[in-house]
Amino acid sequence: MTAPAEPSRLPEPPEPERRGILLALLPALTWPLQAAVIAWVLGGLLTDPAQVPALGAAAAFLALAALRAGCEALAQRVLSEAADARIVALRAEIVTREAGSADAARHGGAGAMAALAGEKLEALRPYLTRYRPARLRAMVMPLVILALALWHSWAVALILLLAGPLIPVFMALVGWAAKAASERQMVEIGALSDLLVDRLAALSDLRLIGAGGPLVTGFAEASERLRDRSIAVLRIAFLSSTVLELFSALGVAMVAIWVGFTLLGELGWGSWGAELSPAAGIFLLLLAPEFFQPLRDLAAAWHDKAGADAVLAEVEAWRAEPRAARLGQGVALPPSGPLPVLRLSGLCHHGIRYPELEISPGDTVAITGPSGAGKSTLLRLIAGLERPEEGVITLGAAPLDAASADVWRGRIGWMPQAPHFLARSLRHNIGFGASVAPEAAHLGGVLEALPRGLDTMLGERGAGLSGGEARRVTLARAMQGAPGLILADEPTADLDAQTAAAITEALLAFARRGGTLVVATHDGALAARLLRQVSLGPAAGGDA
Amino acid sequence: MKRLLQIIALIVKYERKAFLLGLLLTVTVLAMGVALLGLSGWFITASAAAGMAGLGILFNVFAPSAMVRFLALGRTAARYGERLLTHDATLRALSDLRIRLLEGLLTRPHRELEKLRANAFLNRVTADIDALDGALLRLVLPAFAGWVVITLTGALLWWLVHPSIGLVVGLGYLLLPTLVFLIGQRIARRPSRQVEAALMASRTRLIDLIAGRDDLTMYGQLQAVAAHVQGAFERHSRTTRKLDRIQRRTGLGLDLIGAALTASALGLGARLVQAGEISAAQAAIGVFAALALAETVAPVRRALAEIGGMVMAARRVLPSVAAEAPEERSVHVSEGAVLEMSGVGYRRGGSAAALFAPVNLTVAPGETVALAGPSGSGKSTLLLLAAGALAPAEGAVRWGGRPVAELSQDNRAHSIALVPQRHALIAGTVAENLRLAAPAAGDATLWEALESVCLAETLRARGGLDLRLGFRGVGLSGGEARRLVLARALLRRPQLLLLDEPTEGLDDATARAVMAGIRAALPEAAILMAAHRAAELSCAGTCLQVAPEKTAHRPDAASVMRNLIRIKYGS
Repeated sequence: MTAPAEPSRLPEPPEPERRGILLALLPALTWPLQAAVIAWVLGGLLTDPAQVPALGAAAAFLALAALRAGCEALAQRVLSEAADARIVALRAEIVTREAGSADAARHGGAGAMAALAGEKLEALRPYLTRYRPARLRAMVMPLVILALALWHSWAVALILLLAGPLIPVFMALVGWAAKAASERQMVEIGALSDLLVDRLAALSDLRLIGAGGPLVTGFAEASERLRDRSIAVLRIAFLSSTVLELFSALGVAMVAIWVGFTLLGELGWGSWGAELSPAAGIFLLLLAPEFFQPLRDLAAAWHDKAGADAVLAEVEAWRAEPRAARLGQGVALPPSGPLPVLRLSGLCHHGIRYPELEISPGDTVAITGPSGAGKSTLLRLIAGLERPEEGVITLGAAPLDAASADVWRGRIGWMPQAPHFLARSLRHNIGFGASVAPEAAHLGGVLEALPRGLDTMLGERGAGLSGGEARRVTLARAMQGAPGLILADEPTADLDAQTAAAITEALLAFARRGGTLVVATHDGALAARLLRQVSLGPAAGGDA
Repeated sequence: MKRLLQIIALIVKYERKAFLLGLLLTVTVLAMGVALLGLSGWFITASAAAGMAGLGILFNVFAPSAMVRFLALGRTAARYGERLLTHDATLRALSDLRIRLLEGLLTRPHRELEKLRANAFLNRVTADIDALDGALLRLVLPAFAGWVVITLTGALLWWLVHPSIGLVVGLGYLLLPTLVFLIGQRIARRPSRQVEAALMASRTRLIDLIAGRDDLTMYGQLQAVAAHVQGAFERHSRTTRKLDRIQRRTGLGLDLIGAALTASALGLGARLVQAGEISAAQAAIGVFAALALAETVAPVRRALAEIGGMVMAARRVLPSVAAEAPEERSVHVSEGAVLEMSGVGYRRGGSAAALFAPVNLTVAPGETVALAGPSGSGKSTLLLLAAGALAPAEGAVRWGGRPVAELSQDNRAHSIALVPQRHALIAGTVAENLRLAAPAAGDATLWEALESVCLAETLRARGGLDLRLGFRGVGLSGGEARRLVLARALLRRPQLLLLDEPTEGLDDATARAVMAGIRAALPEAAILMAAHRAAELSCAGTCLQVAPEKTAHRPDAASVMRNLIRIKYGS
């Protein structure tokens, strides 16, 4: 979780967004007219009640209010559609980049990235629909109202002028603090999500050693921490809006008192020497709160901005990370022609030098060596999942590069040691939409044990499958689509003798049918049954 | 909706005092706001009337103007207190709710817990609880406070201005926004559900894309899954727009209601003044109060935007939260307890066929029994049965003379530990991982456990107990993680230790040393393990072949031996 100091900015608003922001100004501009209607009616009732057209005035007020509400709804529509377009674009960027990168983001695990693309980006919505229009209103409306007030009374204008400008100063101070606090809160939410995925994944197993209680206690502490931070953010947020309310309340109260005393005839100054009419007095009183309202709206939206800035900074940090690009697109391309000869020459990667190796079709090669010797990495290099720092891998005459990677992978059956199963059916996890023949897939025993057979839903870590079953599914997945080459990483590790034997037999049968095998293994029995053994690096540590 | 109310009742119960105080302050804030505007309107109009009549000197200006100042300042102060208090109470109650949810989940049956996938959980705990935070703040409190203030205002207008204005403004504000809310939440229910489902789907799919990146690349499925994620995001965008539209329309309705009621107060007031029934100043009170009441219905908009999510969250959260902890029977397992299984059978997920032939076994303190058999034959299931995590379909599992299912969760946790095949490690230091099993253990005790599983030396070179592991224990090799999990189980000092292929991923010499270390650390424990390696089988006093139901036969010593020999010479 990194949060750089520089907040990133969204690019300037596109056309529909600007239109929406301008449109959002109209409702605010309608209010002085509505206020004038009320003031005129009440003023008329004081001087000559019989002359006031009660029904007409009410209708005029209603018509203006309807205009105001209509503009408001229209502006909201334009703004929320523009905001949605922005969020959709950012999400597409995250999906595209995560799919195109060869390595994981240092920014956070899959859970953290899902949280960023999901609910965190949702924080931009209120910012885009509220903050920008509020900022324009805060710039325009106080001036309009000040001008209207000044026309009637310099005293009221002075009161507004004195109470108004202090507000942004306070707001800036409070806004700073709120932003820092809210950034801390966002980091905490991300950490809590990751922490939760992590703990929940372990929940069922930890209960079996009686560690459920301490797990809950640990989580309770994290949850309390989040609550503390949330309250810290809120305390500042409320303080800033209270300061604003205080000034606006004082301003309105002072206007009311000045107007009241002037109308009583107690005060003779402040209205340009002319007498203040009752209607003008009521008009001024109705306008005064609207002088402060845009500033209060902006303050409320300020916190949306603080939240959005924190999210945008996170997006920026993720964007700034250098990521290795994936070789090829990761799409299924049908291979043509026979399997090419695979040559590894001068490979050096992460400080490990690999021997020269040539693998022809039909070869079966065991890669042996202690853990940490680079067995799995070698398989990943051959698969094009990592690019070697030095040396080249060639397929026949052509190098393994972005152009050839997808076709090459189309020939490979891949058996990783820790597969990731999609949260979909077993059938989809094996065939990815292609039809699956269970009898050809060495799955028989597994299917009998699963009540829903191939339709069983899998989840993270292959929920519902035992270690041996997961390995069989991995084998079935590798065999699916008749590959020319199988790359298997420790295919018999963590298995009982019978299952290990079955997996070994299946791999050897594949080789007998002419398939090529490259197996990273520490299983001597399996290695001995392959044509060649390639040993990597010196031994270290107690692991096999 | 009913479940949401139940959750709200729970939240209120947790923090009753703070809730009532918050409600009182909310009412105060709203009432002061209405009073401020009404009083100001009356004050100015009445001043103007007095001024025009030349009675300015007789008009008592000080009481109203002091009142205006008091209301202005008091409202600001009350608002700060109200916000802080209600938010703090809500967050506190929600934190309690989160913890109760996790505790509730811990009492769920093993299979259910295993099946609930981490993604669904994550969403449940964070998003659902967050959704519920609005229940109090933006639904219950504003609704109650709004009704109270509107009723009060209506009554006051009846008394101070005119019954007809009190009726129109009071009833109008009381009934119409409530109606808009009821209709709006009904229409919004389906789209809210769709928005949430789409966001949840995109989360699951994005996690699949990122966590399965390499596998998907190898199988040429990367772009297909990326498109699948995009599809979910697009669905989210579409449904969000639909929901937005509904919210805009209800918002428009609310705006028009406020406008219509203010216009009525204005027109009606003017008529009444013309008829000589009330003064202009009284008419002003009516108009200004009608304007001010718009503030009380503003929260309806926000509540409508959130109620859909709240209802769904409540529906999911309630069953786990409301689950009362099962009655704890204080049955103590005495020293020297024996594990007995007689005629135990098990059926998987409602299938008719038994997983294995009936099993009979006894494990006494200090004894080690190994279960052998092919993968999928039910060795792991037998261990879960012994731990009481699963209930047998036939036969009985007894621990210390009592059916293990009769023991309370606490009792089981205290005397039995099962180490499954997976390495359930969490992000944090090695010490934190170990202390999950023994929160009070000192460093020396932790090192002792690490020595027993031959991990102390490896760790000492890499930061010792403070070595920080990534999520799910990333940073340790498979063999190291295996041994760390074993050390953690030892720290619980169980009377019955159940091990599922304990030395997998270790070389032969280390495996033997680890098995010897475990026995030395727990000399009196009964140990039952699923085993298939020579290193494991050789330290077992008894070996039991778990056979499929079809080929049911009594444990056959010769076949076990054949197996043993093959394994010994094969590796």
